[in-house]
Amino acid sequence: MGTTFLPVASIVSSAGGRDGWMIVLPAFILGIPYGLMVLSLLSQFPNKNLLQVSEIVFGKGIGKLIGVLYILITGYFGGLLLGQVGDIYERSIMPLTPISLFYLGTIILVFYLCKSGIEVFARFSEVIFPLIILALILNLTLSISRIEPGVLLPILSEGVMPLFWGGLKVAPFVMEYILFMAGILAFLPTDMKEIGQLRREVWRAVFLVGILDMFVAFTQILVFGPFETTRIVYGLLVLGKMVEVSRTVAGVESLFLGVWLGALVIKISAFLFTVVWGLETVMNLKGLKWEIAVCAVFMGIAFGFVRGSVLISEISFVDNYLILPFTTIWILGLWGTARWKKGKNIRGN
Amino acid sequence: MLTKIIRKSTRKKRRQSSEPLCQNPSGNPTTLSKKLEDNRQAILNTFPKADDLVIREFTIGSEAPVQAFAVMIFGLFNEDSVNENLFKPLLSVHNNQLTGSTLEIIKESILSVSSVQEVQTLEDTVTGILSGDTVLFIDGADRALIASIRGFAARSVEEPSTESVIRGPREGFVESLGTNISLIRRKIKNPNLMVEKMTVGRQTKTSLAIVHIQGIANDEVVQEVKKRICRIETDSVLESGYIESFIEDAPYSLFPTVGNSEKPDIVSAKLLEGRVAILTDGTPLVLTVPYLFIEAFQNSEDYYSRPYLATFIRWLRWLAFFISTFVPALYVAITTYHQELLPTSLLISIASANEGSPFPTIVEALLMQIAYEILREAGLRLPKAVGQAVSIVGALVIGEAAVSAGLVGAPMVVVVALTGISSFVVPAFTDVTTIARFVLLILSSFSGLYGVMLGFAGFVIHQLSLRSFGVPYMSPLVPLNGSGLNDVIIRKPWWAMTSRPHSLSRNTTRQVDSLAPSPPENPGN
Repeated sequence: MGTTFLPVASIVSSAGGRDGWMIVLPAFILGIPYGLMVLSLLSQFPNKNLLQVSEIVFGKGIGKLIGVLYILITGYFGGLLLGQVGDIYERSIMPLTPISLFYLGTIILVFYLCKSGIEVFARFSEVIFPLIILALILNLTLSISRIEPGVLLPILSEGVMPLFWGGLKVAPFVMEYILFMAGILAFLPTDMKEIGQLRREVWRAVFLVGILDMFVAFTQILVFGPFETTRIVYGLLVLGKMVEVSRTVAGVESLFLGVWLGALVIKISAFLFTVVWGLETVMNLKGLKWEIAVCAVFMGIAFGFVRGSVLISEISFVDNYLILPFTTIWILGLWGTARWKKGKNIRGN
Repeated sequence: MLTKIIRKSTRKKRRQSSEPLCQNPSGNPTTLSKKLEDNRQAILNTFPKADDLVIREFTIGSEAPVQAFAVMIFGLFNEDSVNENLFKPLLSVHNNQLTGSTLEIIKESILSVSSVQEVQTLEDTVTGILSGDTVLFIDGADRALIASIRGFAARSVEEPSTESVIRGPREGFVESLGTNISLIRRKIKNPNLMVEKMTVGRQTKTSLAIVHIQGIANDEVVQEVKKRICRIETDSVLESGYIESFIEDAPYSLFPTVGNSEKPDIVSAKLLEGRVAILTDGTPLVLTVPYLFIEAFQNSEDYYSRPYLATFIRWLRWLAFFISTFVPALYVAITTYHQELLPTSLLISIASANEGSPFPTIVEALLMQIAYEILREAGLRLPKAVGQAVSIVGALVIGEAAVSAGLVGAPMVVVVALTGISSFVVPAFTDVTTIARFVLLILSSFSGLYGVMLGFAGFVIHQLSLRSFGVPYMSPLVPLNGSGLNDVIIRKPWWAMTSRPHSLSRNTTRQVDSLAPSPPENPGN
């Protein structure tokens, strides 16, 4: 789930206007065939991540090239996400605090989480996930009083094509998840029963996250209207600021931000993991010093994009023009070639 | 879900514990001599300056007397019992009784002592003497008899002051290992209750016992406990805390991974859930492993009371833990950085109360917290009467006087008082909350709620990475185990708690289902 719920409404409303919310779930469903392709490669190449599989299927040269691209893209994106933490906090609740403090605090936490291992990472996600769901539900339900149903009408007045383009903007979210799956594959069990369970989990995860993100987009469009939703990049934070219960609870955005920080930590850690796995697989660079080096690179990237609009457009650029095409082509090509080779009974080394 | 999958895949790779059990250090034992004088000299050489060593020489039989002597340490043996059950029968022996091996006859027919053991080495006799036993040497025998007639000043069984209850047994463990084992045996009358004794400490030779219920406790955990205790090679073990620090999983962690209790009913309940207990001679505190995070929020009285109140009190404990850890940090963060979170009227009240204070909120908070910790420590260590006086003076100084003098704001006193009281609601974590509170205070002082969240996440990650004897520290919360939650957030009635915690025991069935009370219908209706 990561932090997709933060920008999703702005993205879909910019492409699909008042109907933008409709495209969220179908775009997420695109993740199902890709998830299943990855799991199919797991059963064919047990205990190997997709970078290792690429070297087997495409040969060393192309495999290494894919690995380098994987490291560069995930590393760059992880750094941008770190920058997003500072940006969100500085812009919303703590404008006077130096942004470097947010970078430093978050990267230390991310490093600690990654050092603790993949099992602790999974458990941390298990702790934070219910908090995210609870915060989202609270945020959305407490905004009901500000809803104006009229802004949704007329439905599909612009046709369905804007929805298609909107879907292409949401699809990278799913591909980020697929990139992480590509790396974590080596840690997953390989017997048929558990792969079956994983397949069911792919379906469940896509639908759960898709439906939640759809509701987030839906509520924001209902509250702000399509134009304002597009303009406000982090509409959910603004919703949090507007929450008011009687005269006791107001401006609880700071509390929600605590939960969003947890979500961001999970996402940045996921990308730190992917870079570390990539370095280990492709260049055989492993150990503490390389993990610290990756964290330093993340910090460097974050410092490179200090302020809001530049950072947001860079994240969108990486999502739309790097992650989406790279993952779409790589996974499809890898799965297809592996199937073809299996059919022909050709084995790599 | 991901946790479950990863755990399953890594479980197979996990190291299996199959090392041999603790072996006694193998030296060259000194065998006893058949000559009584040689043995006497050997004992005297072993205890060159021991004025409390008692060597009582005597003869057995009158016609052809057999020379003998008994060795014991003053104050460690029961004098009356030794006179009555050892010397009296021995001194009244007639020679016609001594046909065959004198030692065998004395052991089997003359001594009226429940435990008599035959030993062949000097080392064994020395251990017996030091343990308070009476050792009997007889001329012509290259063995000695160890008669267990111990008796030393000991406290009687009474209610432990640290774990007092309104409903439930009042008895507590004492400093005697034997008494403590018997207190558990009285609760669990089952031959599967395994008691294995060991000795640790080169100088102190402290006895300890590993207790578990075979068939309920996880064998791997039992082996692991033995393995960790066997590797302890230290001079002294004066309290169970020594053992704890040698065997715990995370020695640098704030969070304890070994539990302790002074109450036999609590230790028995833990044994019945599949845990292993470690009893140490000389201390009433019994260690239990594995120890999980949720145990700090459970209390023996929860299980003797009706479930509704027990559940409510348990929620209060969670709340108190939260308050004692987070409230000062949240107060500093909100009043310094996020005033928008407070309703306007409350914000005005706090601002007016803090108006005269010369210090920033964080300085106030640190000063007050440190003052409170000093007073708490002084109150605990001083004699009761003086301690109370300190508490009263402290309450006046850090409360009324500090506010009147305009040094701190009244809301800060409320926060510190609330925090202090809450920290005693979960006594197992009092030290954890104290340290965590200061860490969070400092984080919140320069980064507001971001810092609090950062600290919270850091503590969560740390706790998630902990294990206690192979069991995830946060289970059954994370990884989530539905059936394990029967006794975590709520306390179900006894008839509904049909299984033991899955993470602790392979034999998870505690009782049959359908034990819910179903009284017959009123015949009058």
